[in-house]
Amino acid sequence: MNISSDFLRDPRVVLYIAAVALALICIGVFGLKFGLDLEGGSYLQLQLQGAVAQIDVTPEKILEYQFNATSVDKHGDSYVITVPGTVPATLPDDLGYPGAKIVQGGNITKVTIATTPESVVTNYLRKRMDADVKIVGVAPVQYEIRTNVTRESLNAILAPVGGSVPQGEDTFVEGLTPDTVDETKNVLDSKLNRLGLQDIKVRVVDNKFVLIDLAGMDVATAEDVVGKPGKFEIRIQTTGNDTVHVLYGDAVESVDIPTGDQNSAWSVPFTLSESGAQIFQKEAIDSGATKNPDAHNVIMYLDKDEIFSAPLAPELAASLQKAPIRSMEARVGTGDAGQQKAKELYIHLREGALPVNVNVVGSGQVSAALGKQFKFQMVIAGLIALLAVAGMIFYRYREKRIVLPMITTSCSEVVMMLGIWALAGWQLDLASLAGIITVIGTGVDQLVIITDELIRGGEAASVTAERSVKERAAAAAEKSGAGTKAAPAATSKVYLSRLSRAFSIILGAAATTAVAMLPLLYMGFGALTGFALIIILGVILGVAIARPAYGRIIGYILSES
Amino acid sequence: MELEDIVSKYPPRLIMLIPLAIIALALIILGATYLSTGSPVHLGIEFTGGTLITVPATESEDAVAAQFAGYPLADIRNIGSMYMMQFGPMSDQDYTALVRLVNSHYANSEIRYMGPIYSKELQAQALKYLPLSFLLMAIVVFLVFREPIVSLLVVVSALADILTAAASMDITGVQLSLGTVAALLMLIGYSVDTDILLSMRVLKRKGAVEEKIIGAMGTGLMMTGTTIAAVLSLIVVSNLLYLVIPSFTRMDIIADISTVLIFGLAADIFNTWITNAQGLRWYMNRPKKAGRGHRK
Repeated sequence: MNISSDFLRDPRVVLYIAAVALALICIGVFGLKFGLDLEGGSYLQLQLQGAVAQIDVTPEKILEYQFNATSVDKHGDSYVITVPGTVPATLPDDLGYPGAKIVQGGNITKVTIATTPESVVTNYLRKRMDADVKIVGVAPVQYEIRTNVTRESLNAILAPVGGSVPQGEDTFVEGLTPDTVDETKNVLDSKLNRLGLQDIKVRVVDNKFVLIDLAGMDVATAEDVVGKPGKFEIRIQTTGNDTVHVLYGDAVESVDIPTGDQNSAWSVPFTLSESGAQIFQKEAIDSGATKNPDAHNVIMYLDKDEIFSAPLAPELAASLQKAPIRSMEARVGTGDAGQQKAKELYIHLREGALPVNVNVVGSGQVSAALGKQFKFQMVIAGLIALLAVAGMIFYRYREKRIVLPMITTSCSEVVMMLGIWALAGWQLDLASLAGIITVIGTGVDQLVIITDELIRGGEAASVTAERSVKERAAAAAEKSGAGTKAAPAATSKVYLSRLSRAFSIILGAAATTAVAMLPLLYMGFGALTGFALIIILGVILGVAIARPAYGRIIGYILSES
Repeated sequence: MELEDIVSKYPPRLIMLIPLAIIALALIILGATYLSTGSPVHLGIEFTGGTLITVPATESEDAVAAQFAGYPLADIRNIGSMYMMQFGPMSDQDYTALVRLVNSHYANSEIRYMGPIYSKELQAQALKYLPLSFLLMAIVVFLVFREPIVSLLVVVSALADILTAAASMDITGVQLSLGTVAALLMLIGYSVDTDILLSMRVLKRKGAVEEKIIGAMGTGLMMTGTTIAAVLSLIVVSNLLYLVIPSFTRMDIIADISTVLIFGLAADIFNTWITNAQGLRWYMNRPKKAGRGHRK
């Protein structure tokens, strides 16, 4: 009997064996990765807030409103603003126009600023919304507002300057540009990586949700680390508890890796931009910090939380009195505590703020022990499912020669899927494991269709329990006009027509299952992607590789009996 | 076999009254739930928003609940050496404090927070994707059969499965969660498997319709049987074993998926072999002048 060599000549069987072997190699080489709910850790779901809008407004009106001006004239690339009385020297700076020329004459002051109409709009929005605003489109000009904003709230902000969002669907679109989303993802990625957190996964869903998985960390810590990244600000203490604003994070040009060791103090070196250094010098002198550093701490805030507070070092104070200084360092303390603080400050300084405001829409944690328990339980569930299914098949066919190939085929489908998962480096989560178990269920269904089609072929009714499978198979083989010695039944016309009929049923069933699962790939912020993907791939692999091979194998086996 | 008698002996129109009555009953249940809660099925915490915390504890329910007295605790349940607590909406600061409290008291906790945006988005997704999934399935069915009546029967049977499963959720108190939506979507694909088998056998084989139906039933019941066997083992492990073996714990998402699947599969047995089969019987045996699709 040389069934095995016949098997091996069939391309379907060869493909099947090769696929299973390849899957086993992949699993062995790359290993399986498990999701957060099986490994323990926490997750955060952030919504990136923002919108892209067109705006109808006259820049002159904005400047008139902001400066309380009597008139605003555009001369070339500049605006000349005429204001009755005097103008505080810092006003143009505060409004986002550094380098403005202020000329006072008699009862009026003329302020000249060099800027474009679009910048006037961006500056106004930035000021009013306390958020970053960027020009993202030309003709029509579109502004990306990187904070929580609605058409109504934007109109309300534009009302005092006589502006509005034009009517129409596409003049106000919630969400951010893909570039901004990418930028945010990169900032988060680098921020988490620099913290030395391993296995960080930052994913973007729908261009507005960012999902972050943090292994081995509770959710409170996770939120601390990423949940509320925000505005970095440097202020200087004036008198008592009062402080004056000096710089925002955008003035910090670069930050170097913390320096220090067990014996000396840890510090974070950073460099200010040129204009930033000038402002810093001016504020330090104005507040008196250069003369009396100890009474005027330099305080750094992140999201209004104090993260650093220390006086200027005496030598720095002395130099600042004479000239702007761009390179400074923040000293945070000694020992392990100092090192830890330096590490945090480094991140805060470096990523002053995410490019957009975020909102935590969901979060959670699973302990490692609980994850392990889930994993164990799913393995048990899988084994019980396999046994139950095997029991059902045995009950029906009462024939080892059918039950064994069925169960083997079903198991091999699971192996193939795991192989793909290992190769792709995808994570198996709780839902994916449930998907695997249901695939065992559907896979066996289809093997039952094939087997029944082959066994009972043309005879429509007569589910006579008395007739054993062997008899039916023998009848089938006879009908196909085949002898019983070799395995010609497996290639005969009748056999092939039955097999193709079985496959028309299977393909229909597989296609409906797969398409019904498609939406799940996108639903629930990716929570069920693994589940849907495993079912869809399981169905495809089963129909394309495992079931054709099973059809051949079971054909040989049946004709052998 | 009684089912076989029903399938072949009584006139189809008479038997069809039963599934129609069941569909009507399901619609009434869903409608009544809609009127009382504003949604045809009870919405779980993922769709309403809130915080779900699971902690291992051997103390009494009251003792555990007392620890969280300062927070909006809405529900507490013992799930096998663990307590599962649901909290209503709270401020960010309260949430952070709650998380710290949980983590300082219990070593192995599970916490899930679902904010209002999350639940709103999820509701919108469910409303969009469930019908989409059904539509895609119906298109595939029509492509497979290219016979309007036969396809329609399959689609109607699937719809009846979903409605029955949803109504069963209302009766048994299973809430709509991410897991149950997944199960309903799966049911859309799953439930037509046996319908396709049945219709293919009836359309493509020779012989009396009744005999073909009974023949297909052998295979079809086996298919549903294996699936039910797989799903039952999921139910046992995710939702029952923890009652017997203390070290086991309840797995929500799995329990949700498998419970709905069981309802749906049970409904599917009925709808395939009564609703769809009787529809086919009527269609295939109808007076000849209608002609088309009659293959006998």
